[in-house]
Amino acid sequence: MNRQIQTLIRYEWKTFVRNKFQLLLLVITFLFGLYAIYYGQSEINAQRETINAVTALETKEFSQYKGSFTTEMENQTQEQTQDIASRPEYAWYRHGYHAILPPHDYAPLAIGQRDLFRYYYRLTGTSLHYQLFENELANPVNLLTGNFDLSFLLVYLFPLLIIAFCYGLFSSEKESGTLALLQIQAVSIRKIMLVRMAFYFVLITGLAIFISLIGLCSSGNPFTEENMLPAIAWVIGTTLYCAFWFGLLFLIISFKKGSAFNAISAAGCWLLLLIVVPAVLNVIVTVKYPLSSATLAGLTRRTGLENEDDEEESKEVIMEFLAHKPELAGSDSLMKNNMLPKAYAAFTTLKDINSQQEVDHYNDKVAKRNQWTSQFLWLSPAVNMQEILAEITQTDLNTFLDFQNALADFHGKITDFYFTRLFWDRPILLEDYEQLPVFEMSEDLNRGNIIWFGLGKILIAAGLVFLVGFFRINGGIKK
Amino acid sequence: MNQLIFIAKKEIKVAIRERLVISLGAIIILLLGVALYAGYISYRQQQQIITQTQIEKRQEWLNQGDKHPHIAAHYGTFVFKPKTILSLFDFGLDAYTGTSVYLEAHHQHEFMFRPAQDHSSMIRFGELSAALVLQVLVPLLIIFLAFASFTRERESGTLKLLMSQGTSFNTLTWGKILAYAVMLVVILLPFLLGLVLLSVSHMSYDVIPDIIVRVAMLVLIYGLYLCFFIAFSVWVSLRSGSGRNALLTLLTCWIFFAILLPKTVANLSESFYSLPSMREFKAQIDETKRNGLDGKTPRSVRMANLKKEYLEKYGVDSVQQLPFNFEGVSMQAGEEFGDQVYDYHLNNLREIFHKQNQLGSIASLFNPYLAVQHLSMALSGTDTHTFIHFEEEVERYRRELVRKMNQDMAENSKYGEFYGYKAGSDLWGEIEDFSYRVPTAWQLLSYYKLELISLMLWMALTMVLLHVANRKMKPIHE
Repeated sequence: MNRQIQTLIRYEWKTFVRNKFQLLLLVITFLFGLYAIYYGQSEINAQRETINAVTALETKEFSQYKGSFTTEMENQTQEQTQDIASRPEYAWYRHGYHAILPPHDYAPLAIGQRDLFRYYYRLTGTSLHYQLFENELANPVNLLTGNFDLSFLLVYLFPLLIIAFCYGLFSSEKESGTLALLQIQAVSIRKIMLVRMAFYFVLITGLAIFISLIGLCSSGNPFTEENMLPAIAWVIGTTLYCAFWFGLLFLIISFKKGSAFNAISAAGCWLLLLIVVPAVLNVIVTVKYPLSSATLAGLTRRTGLENEDDEEESKEVIMEFLAHKPELAGSDSLMKNNMLPKAYAAFTTLKDINSQQEVDHYNDKVAKRNQWTSQFLWLSPAVNMQEILAEITQTDLNTFLDFQNALADFHGKITDFYFTRLFWDRPILLEDYEQLPVFEMSEDLNRGNIIWFGLGKILIAAGLVFLVGFFRINGGIKK
Repeated sequence: MNQLIFIAKKEIKVAIRERLVISLGAIIILLLGVALYAGYISYRQQQQIITQTQIEKRQEWLNQGDKHPHIAAHYGTFVFKPKTILSLFDFGLDAYTGTSVYLEAHHQHEFMFRPAQDHSSMIRFGELSAALVLQVLVPLLIIFLAFASFTRERESGTLKLLMSQGTSFNTLTWGKILAYAVMLVVILLPFLLGLVLLSVSHMSYDVIPDIIVRVAMLVLIYGLYLCFFIAFSVWVSLRSGSGRNALLTLLTCWIFFAILLPKTVANLSESFYSLPSMREFKAQIDETKRNGLDGKTPRSVRMANLKKEYLEKYGVDSVQQLPFNFEGVSMQAGEEFGDQVYDYHLNNLREIFHKQNQLGSIASLFNPYLAVQHLSMALSGTDTHTFIHFEEEVERYRRELVRKMNQDMAENSKYGEFYGYKAGSDLWGEIEDFSYRVPTAWQLLSYYKLELISLMLWMALTMVLLHVANRKMKPIHE
């Protein structure tokens, strides 16, 4: 590092330390950061508690069933419990399994859509669609306002901090009359501005990374296998995003206008990227791909057989169902035992099969919307950044769509488990409890790609604005 | 007076010369146009689907065939949340409240489907609505217009000249305020006309009965809000040493009002008063249904009591001897008990919502943005209170439906013969179709007293500040 740069940095440090307002701004931002981390963690911890409570309920339910095989039956309740535990005609619609989407360790840092979607479901063998569409309790006012989490701080507030620090880097020299003095130095204005920018870049990005590290370390161990890459991506993302805003400010400065112009244009850019572009895209997507859940609502109706006394109707329904599941059709006692439960099981499954197309059609439309919007992410690095952060912490829309698909698979496993026993007239035995269906959700293999590709876009945007500024700033200074 | 108009004219001329302001004004007009157009299209699309589906569901109910009334009560029907025409102006909570609900016996289903769930996380940045433009972007335009109103005169030395001509600070200030107000009116007028035309043309078949009052109130409230911003910006400019300082102060205020405070308040309310999860809520209801509201009267005891009560009342020995089907009575009693339990737990839940939202109302005293946001949603029929009112109407309808079914069962069927009796389309037709009207503007505004007070207070405060500043100001810079 040569002497000039050292002098410049020393000078910048002195002005920075003397400016109490700027120091205060940094301290406030830091405190906001701590609050954002705390808030995110308390939100996600509440979800974790719910998950624990729900899991405990399930464990209790199934240990009762298991216990009923070994205890002597003394009263009616115990007999009932054993019936539910061992007889598939009761068990198939009573045994409740929880499908849970546990939060990633870093979900507190970017809550994303996690407050909006359900993250746990209790599923039984009855109609999937009857169980799928219930909402989690939430105050719509607070959903509308959104969360003050670390991603909000980084995406919304750090750009403002950068604007506040940098908008006057050139114009204040001009306005205080020191510009002429700078121009007669051997160092070019470009170099002076670059060094000053770099100084604040290190300072502010340093703060952003510091807060991020506090968040990353206090929310989980960044060195475990599943946290390592997200943590690295988070830090890289933060750096690139700050770099983009510094680049943009550099571009604005390169016009060499007054402070007011710089402040207005910078604020205008912020407004455009954080409010106008996403708001316009959202409204366009709503109009372009209209979706109404009204069409799905009917699927949740609880219907039954027309006449439960009518054996012919039951037989018809069972036969229709068995056409889809021939492997369940072999039992000799098929049409003798438990006609009604079998007919009901067949009925709800058929209903699901018939309405699946409608659900798929709807989900396709949601996916199309999502696809359409993601095309335009390059328009606003801010929106892009938010999506990336949600992607990193697995709180994005795709995660929840995957979760819903996994739910359908899980429901299939549950019905298979009970229906093989119901239709083959086999009781559920104690050893069967060792092989109960288990919820599984496969890792989204595309996630890494989406994150790195998105970060690449921010890098390009940052490079672009910086380069234009770099070539502009030296022109026209001689005046 | 002449002087005032003269100053205003000059101010408008200066503003028009600045390309930045012109282009910002053009952007605002464009955005308002897009917002209004998109809002209208989306209103039409949603309204159409909702009306159509509602008719379908009504037909399904009417044509469900002959069946036992209790089975019909389980078959149930659906209600969809109608869009109000003013929702094209302010989407409010529409994306975050559920849109449809299934009505059946024994169960109070929650509203399903929040439209925001059909969007990527970008939806959390907000949707472009005219309300968003007016609440967030127009104040910014005002700031850009007015931040230099006095500092420019001061920095270029024209302030002294003006003073030496005998202009008072008072005339100068009001002249400038008038100029900005006129410019805003010009920018907003086409939009206003569009809004009035659209809402009046849809008046006859909308769920809002008093649309004209509401539009007038909206105009008044936004007028107050924007006037406040103009006066406040001019005051800041009057008090600031340089344009740069005035701009920074104003931008900081704006960010604090529009971005930081609303989020912080919402989050704090969430931390102070936390909601139970749906599972816990449902578990509590089941628990109370099982063991009674006092926790020690199980269902069997309640049923025995009811039976005893009826046997004694009619002086008979068994329920079979009653002149009606006791099953219908007990079914209805069970239903009413279930309703009572549900009301109890729902009230607890609503209480939490209320406390959370109350915090927002209190915060609006310190933040005119929040005040306007709440009032605007209320007048557009997209706020919490309208939604709660809607939920209550739906629940009332459900109870009436179930009651009629149980009554019919008690009157017309025999004890123990569940499949023996079937009702038909006559009974289904007795249930009127669900129709909804939002509460009147005055009823709604009574929930928003703090917000109204807030707007008045801020306006008054700014007037006082301006008055004091005008009197104290000296033209000569020390």
